[in-house]
Amino acid sequence: MGSQVKTMKPLNIDDLPTPKVEEWKYTNLGRALPANLAVAEQPEEIVIHKNRGEVCEQPEEIVFTSSDGQHTQPRLRIVLEEGAQLTLIERHDGTGAYWKNMVTEIEVGPNANLQHVRLQNDNNEAVQTNLVHIKTARDAVYNGFSLNMGGKLTRHEIHAEIQGENGEVSFNGINMLNGEQHADTTILIEHQAPHCQSNQFYRTLLDDKSHGVFQGKVHVHQAAQKTDGYQLSNALLLSPDAEMDTKPELEIYADDVKCSHGATTGQLDEDPLFYLRQRGLNEAQARMLLIQAFVDEVIEKVENEPVREDILEATHTWLQTALNS
Amino acid sequence: MINIKDVHAHVETDDGDVEILKGISLDIPAGEVHAIMGPNGSGKSTLSYVLAGREDYEVTKGAIELDGEDLLELEPEERAAAGLFLAFQYPVEIPGVNMSTFLKTSINSIRKQRGEDELDALALLKLMKEKCKDLGISDEMMKRAVNVGFSGGEKKRNEVLQMAMLDPKFAVLDETDSGLDIDALKIVADGVNSMRSPDRSFLVITHYQRLLDYIKPDVVHVMAKGKIVKTGGPELALELEEKGYAEFIEEAA
Ligand SMILES: Nc1ncnc2c1ncn2[C@@H]1O[C@H](COP(=O)(O)OP(=O)(O)OP(=O)(O)O)[C@@H](O)[C@H]1O
Ligand SMILES: [Mg+2]
Repeated sequence: MGSQVKTMKPLNIDDLPTPKVEEWKYTNLGRALPANLAVAEQPEEIVIHKNRGEVCEQPEEIVFTSSDGQHTQPRLRIVLEEGAQLTLIERHDGTGAYWKNMVTEIEVGPNANLQHVRLQNDNNEAVQTNLVHIKTARDAVYNGFSLNMGGKLTRHEIHAEIQGENGEVSFNGINMLNGEQHADTTILIEHQAPHCQSNQFYRTLLDDKSHGVFQGKVHVHQAAQKTDGYQLSNALLLSPDAEMDTKPELEIYADDVKCSHGATTGQLDEDPLFYLRQRGLNEAQARMLLIQAFVDEVIEKVENEPVREDILEATHTWLQTALNS
Repeated sequence: MINIKDVHAHVETDDGDVEILKGISLDIPAGEVHAIMGPNGSGKSTLSYVLAGREDYEVTKGAIELDGEDLLELEPEERAAAGLFLAFQYPVEIPGVNMSTFLKTSINSIRKQRGEDELDALALLKLMKEKCKDLGISDEMMKRAVNVGFSGGEKKRNEVLQMAMLDPKFAVLDETDSGLDIDALKIVADGVNSMRSPDRSFLVITHYQRLLDYIKPDVVHVMAKGKIVKTGGPELALELEEKGYAEFIEEAA
């Protein structure tokens, strides 16, 4: 493993993917990019490398900030060698309209464990695209969590290759969108080795005229016997003008696998609302409790407790604003 | 205590507007327990929902008063604060909300509406433990999400637990006995009996005479096709057990 191997390129402004491309059919990047964008900046690489057996007790944090008119091309490279353990918090923010055109490469070595928390709070006029490539070795654990709250248009595109046996890869996420925000999560998981588990668990809250996209594909190669693949996307529409597009896909070439997927889009159920109101909660309180519970179930997947508390707080604040407006 | 007068209730279905309650009148004085029995689909749960204020049912005619207060004017939560409790026939699962948070929010919402001080965490815990013990509910269940993964009987017991904690003045128990094993039935009945008092009333909906052996009703009503077709003493329940509903349904038709 070495940081000199560049396998991925950021998106090219002169050759943008359009909705004519199948994987981009719900997301029109060209239309969302700021009009007077500066010339793309040189890719700037951040490398986080943990040596064999290096166990990091404290979470590490990195922040990606952009400002008005910028076209940045951050490149994040995370390498965990055998047995290394890390909790990484990746924060995103910025001011004004910009395009954060990012590439992330992750290698989780044998028996290594990466807890990767991404808190995306880009400016509401900004565009973020983040192409993520993940490779995992035998007995590796990758546990990803993404909280998407910011951006005018964001695309979090993940390609995971599970290359070693006994690995476990999870992508959990919450999208909380309002105004005319558009958030696209597109995941492709390739099971290339046997006895591995993958989980995708996304919950999306859509207010106003926001638009959510979840495309999740599990590809089980012939060698990947005993694969356990799980995928669930639930979207809650808080406004009649909000929209969700979901595309779950399974492509299975091994015969001894267990894969399931489910997707729902809808409004809050009347039954629990009425139950809570019968027990004395007013409608606003009842809605708040139910919606917070809806996102809490994903937040539970974050292992680090202080980080989990931060996320709870952030979602709570968002909800209070959304439900009181 | 509760006065229900000529209540008609409609629901909007795919086939249009349907009248389900066709003129229900019922008075339960303070301190009394009334039972309602009746065939499936006769409107018993609908009555319980109408009392509790579920919006799906439109009351087109009639009046409902609790201690002189017009319930039909109130939101469901206001009715709860006024002292009405409904033990649901099908308690609702609420993933992600654990029992203790739920009980705390519930009790304090009601106290707040009544202008009372909120209970602090310690007082709540104490109350919860005490009531759980009475009803044979394990502490472990209080850490779980509301009704999620509870067995049928556990759900029913949980309804009675909430009733005991909220201390209502009028409680409707909709088939709280169904799904309970014999021991649980006794525990639940004891729970209800211990709450009987001169200033509290109950409306107990059931299909089985057996529950009424434990919770002795003052009055038994038979409901069929959206109407009360017969009212009598506890012996009426025994008569029903023997003869079934046939003759009452004919009367209602
Ligand atoms: N929301 C609704 N939409 C359509 N029909 C309804 C609705 N609620 C009740 N009904 C109908 O009204 C009738 C009475 O239902 P209800 O649940 O009150 O009966 P019940 O007496 O409680 O029956 P059971 O003993 O089976 O619990 C039934 O025919 C039912 O299908
Ligand atoms: Mg019923």
